[in-house]
Amino acid sequence: MSLFQPDSAEALAAALAQAAHDRQTIETGGAFSKVRAGGPRGGAQLTLSTAKLNRVLNYEPRDLTLSVEAGMPFAELSALLATNQQMIPLDPPYSATATIGGVVAANSSGPRRRWFGTARDLIIGMQYATMEGKLVQSGGMVVKNVAGLDTGKLHIGALGTLGVMTVLNFKLLPMPVDTRTFAKEFATAAEAIAERDRILKSTLQPMALDLLNPAAARTLSLSGFVLLLEAGGQPNVLDRYARELPGFAVVDKTFWARINGFTESFLAAHPAGCVVRISSKLTESAPVLTAFAGPVIMRAGNGVAYAYCETPPAKLPPLKCVIEYAPEPRPAGMDLWPAPAADFDLMRRVKDMMDPHHLLNPGRLYGKL
Amino acid sequence: MIAANVRQEIHNLLGPRGYLDQGPDLSLYEYDGSIDKAKPDIVVFPKSTEQVAAIVKLAARNQLAIVGRGAGTGLSGGVIPRAGGIMISFARMNRILEIDLPNERMLVEPGVVNLDVTLAVQRDGYYFAPDPSSQRACTIGGNVAENAGGPHTLVYGVTTNHVLGLEVVLPDGTVIEIGGPETDLPGYDLTGLLTGSEGTMVLVTKAWLRLMRTAETVKTMLAIYETTDAAADTVAEITAKQITPAALEMLDGPMLRMVEEATHAGYPMDAQAVLLIELEGLIESVESQLEPIRATCLACGAREVRLAKSAEERDLLWKGRKNAFGAIGRVSPFYYVQDGVVPRTQIAPTLRRIGEISREHGVQISNIFHAGDGNMHPIILFDARKPGDVQKAVAAGEAILDYCIQVGGSITGEHGVGMEKMELMTKLFSDDTLNMIASFKSLFDPQCRLNPGKLLPTGKGCMEIHHAHATPAATY
Repeated sequence: MSLFQPDSAEALAAALAQAAHDRQTIETGGAFSKVRAGGPRGGAQLTLSTAKLNRVLNYEPRDLTLSVEAGMPFAELSALLATNQQMIPLDPPYSATATIGGVVAANSSGPRRRWFGTARDLIIGMQYATMEGKLVQSGGMVVKNVAGLDTGKLHIGALGTLGVMTVLNFKLLPMPVDTRTFAKEFATAAEAIAERDRILKSTLQPMALDLLNPAAARTLSLSGFVLLLEAGGQPNVLDRYARELPGFAVVDKTFWARINGFTESFLAAHPAGCVVRISSKLTESAPVLTAFAGPVIMRAGNGVAYAYCETPPAKLPPLKCVIEYAPEPRPAGMDLWPAPAADFDLMRRVKDMMDPHHLLNPGRLYGKL
Repeated sequence: MIAANVRQEIHNLLGPRGYLDQGPDLSLYEYDGSIDKAKPDIVVFPKSTEQVAAIVKLAARNQLAIVGRGAGTGLSGGVIPRAGGIMISFARMNRILEIDLPNERMLVEPGVVNLDVTLAVQRDGYYFAPDPSSQRACTIGGNVAENAGGPHTLVYGVTTNHVLGLEVVLPDGTVIEIGGPETDLPGYDLTGLLTGSEGTMVLVTKAWLRLMRTAETVKTMLAIYETTDAAADTVAEITAKQITPAALEMLDGPMLRMVEEATHAGYPMDAQAVLLIELEGLIESVESQLEPIRATCLACGAREVRLAKSAEERDLLWKGRKNAFGAIGRVSPFYYVQDGVVPRTQIAPTLRRIGEISREHGVQISNIFHAGDGNMHPIILFDARKPGDVQKAVAAGEAILDYCIQVGGSITGEHGVGMEKMELMTKLFSDDTLNMIASFKSLFDPQCRLNPGKLLPTGKGCMEIHHAHATPAATY
């Protein structure tokens, strides 16, 4: 087992080709902050890190675009953008240590996805290295571009199983002038969901809208089912939210840091714990919120929820879900992705094409790819 | 000519009114909004996924090319059946299958017209964000194939940002569901890969669309300029000031005069450029942005900034913008629309270069485009009846795209590569990138029968590359 930290995309691509030639298994990462994400890891013959690919290649604040190497720490990048009141509003877990490449490989997202979307909506181009040792481009540096095939989309959330992203191009968002955070506690899930529905049907355009079950609320010293909303804009815009959110309290903005850091702190406290990611329709919110004994944090405007389990769940509920984070090492026989959908066979064909010998992060995509 | 036995099978599958195979009828299907032409051997009109799959299997058995077609409004030759074969028109698969407002979703067949998606939910306060100028005619299937844009995709993103799942037919006739109405489904983002694949990898038979809430208020401004430079500077300045309008469109002098003569939308006949700026959102939010935008326009040299006073005035301005291509038709019998993209700081120099190219090639070029995202639409006027004019137009178009590439842009922002810009792909992408695209094409369409001769340059098409990816050695 050896660790290689190439200082150029070309060197990284060459290392992949060499490993493919030698039939060596490869583990890839940036800061390796999310070692518990996805399926089995470890034991690879070669560990490749993008940590030294950490340069900003092109940042034109007036164009609101950025090209950055994959190993740039997300926190460092965010600090740079903040000097121009700009942002990549992904709100990922492990934000203090993760690299931008790792954030994208895991398709990490956070509360503000209601308004700003996820990596697939913010990335305008990328370069990735393939197992053949090639550097391939997808998209470019302009905010609208349909030239060629959007092959980069496949690498977002692929947990490094198809290739290694080396450069990422983003469209940037201006930071809101000001923000305000609102919270309201509800005795039942039904009442919280009804209020969520009212907000979604109103003309309000919250940046973030999260729904917490009582176990999650307790960790924030709140009780019951809690709706947490973030609005952005001028003071008179924020006042409008205050008027239209009766019964909501204005709470400290630092709540969001605790929400974004919830996964990291929960996993640190629970070495045997798991995080289940559920993809649901908004109308399925009630069963999602009540299917787990532990904390559940739901992106209430998108239907993506995270359930926190202190021990691996014996059986997952009949929802579209995966165990996104698992204990390290993964317990034997643990099925992280119990019910792949009809398009799984096509995914397998894509994997076979990109990595015919299954050397690259084998099984990392929830044990299946 | 289609073989008699194939024709008979299609007749049995779809009935006597389910296909067209006579010369004059086929002529109606030989073109799109671009300049290339080729006739299919037969056009079929399936009414269901099952019929599409049956036709695709029939084509596979007989080694025939297949091209899917929506409304034929494309601008890059994407639906031109250059290898003949079977054209599958989705005109009769035009049903909205499910409107699911509580989940902000809609399930549609590919032949549903873009605008009809919004019209179906407008009363309930929802809409579908991608709004190509052809939205009264173009279909969702075509939008997905081309990853279509439109003026209002500046903030909300293009088609790929609003399509969550697809039902597709693979070139061997297999029907498969990709993605679904939920977000963040585990696994590879195949929906993202296939959206914008220009009908070369799958045929879309259903699409899950994301609906958005209609904004509380909309304000439309018209900024009027004596020079295109000043208008272009305003676009850069608005972007740099981090004001994000919902739409930011530019029309140059010749263009706005053509539009005004055709639609009487209220555009000033004597100006050299106008910006059409639209803000939407909460009343407080929109109101607070009006003054900074007005001030920015004036500081950059706008002669006047008008605010549309009523919904009628606003609709008229947009009618002018969206019907611009019709307006050009009154002036020039033929025109050629380009679709380059440049960084937003490069709009002014790009417009100047377009002016030079116009003079160098001896063709008139007008501009009407999505300035907010740097998506240029130079419109090259020519007369196909004059010998050499088409060639001059094409050469001018290529010169413009060369410049777009040179300043860090792209050869297409929303119209697609099609057969029009295939050869330019080598200027934008490396061999390795083109080979990767070809590998994906081969993975989905190993016999190269689905919309052949598109997207990739000659020599890089799927039949022409060495197929490096053999059967995998590993197992799961």
